[in-house]
Amino acid sequence: MRLFPVALRILNQRELAEEVLQESFVSIWRHASSYNPVLSQPLTWLTNIARNRALDALRSTQYRSGMVSLDDESGAVALEVADDRPEPLELLNQAEDRLRLSECLKGLEPQQRRSVALAFYDGLTHAELAQALDAPLGTVKAWVRRGLEKLKRCMEK
Amino acid sequence: MNYERADLLDKLAAEYVLGTLAGPARRRFERLMRTSPGAAKAVVVWQRRLIPLARSLPDAMPPERVWRGIERRLDEPMHAARPRRRWWDVLLPVATLALGVLLGVALMQQLPRPPVPSPVERSILPESYVGVLTDASGQAALLAGSRRHGKELFVKMLKPLDPPSGQVAVLWALPAKGAPFVLGVVPAGKKATLTMADTSERLLSQVSRLAVSFEAGMPGPGVSPGQFVLQGHCVKLW
Repeated sequence: MRLFPVALRILNQRELAEEVLQESFVSIWRHASSYNPVLSQPLTWLTNIARNRALDALRSTQYRSGMVSLDDESGAVALEVADDRPEPLELLNQAEDRLRLSECLKGLEPQQRRSVALAFYDGLTHAELAQALDAPLGTVKAWVRRGLEKLKRCMEK
Repeated sequence: MNYERADLLDKLAAEYVLGTLAGPARRRFERLMRTSPGAAKAVVVWQRRLIPLARSLPDAMPPERVWRGIERRLDEPMHAARPRRRWWDVLLPVATLALGVLLGVALMQQLPRPPVPSPVERSILPESYVGVLTDASGQAALLAGSRRHGKELFVKMLKPLDPPSGQVAVLWALPAKGAPFVLGVVPAGKKATLTMADTSERLLSQVSRLAVSFEAGMPGPGVSPGQFVLQGHCVKLW
């Protein structure tokens, strides 16, 4: 059962994560017929639905205005909010230990790895990544794009 | 933009799955996924690559009220205005059905479905018994399901079983009261269909759990199972 941790991580707020989880289950129920077992593993499919819902909730204006103001210097970036959750990079490293993509993740440049980790685990957009990593938007976009390309090339080997 | 260009689709799919494709571009791409098989395929391939990263997230269990909320929502008409955030008021504690949705959806896809979709949402999933078995580490390893009035039991392996040489994997039903009984031998491979001695309604209605043990052969009547390597709940899905 991996859907709740995904929603909770991205939203970092229990109540909202619970709401998203409920929506995900209902959506799964109603769209069960769109699942193609040939193309994707059931857990991948399910996890992805929950993750997409969480990303949408994270980016919905109501939530943003209530939780984190990106224009506000003090709240510069969501991930700087003090908490004891594992760092995205730490999670990525743990994932490496268990997964087949381990070798491929190791092949990424440090900034590419950091960008991919922040985007995947915390749901940061390009603009938020630029702020979090204190780099120009174009540079950050290139880090993400090249990181993903490298991952793909490596995993296709 | 020419969306049918494979390399562009692939780049968009990658950023969509990662999540960096945001705002209106995300919505546009979601619409495209529904009409372009190329886009949908690219997304599935990227999901396969990236979603496993979620496995390293620390575990978290949703509270009971989530299941109650799901249950309630499933009873609502599809397009009814959804009351906001009232779900924690709901008192009816029926969690198994909702859990069954998650565990059963994947499995249901392999069961024969009525040819004509009914407007009633619930009919998407036929009346079935569904079991999901996990290994010692809690990872889902085997899905089993059977139509309520059918004798066939569909089994899908999420992980290889690998019984020791000379042994077979035996699927047991564990009734709430009474001794375990054998449902069948799970053959090697990713999918199997077992034929049970009777309909699942008769065999499984009082069964709360399923389990797998490795045995030297098909156990005779009254034989006790060895140590279980997989275990899990058996739920009614209707």
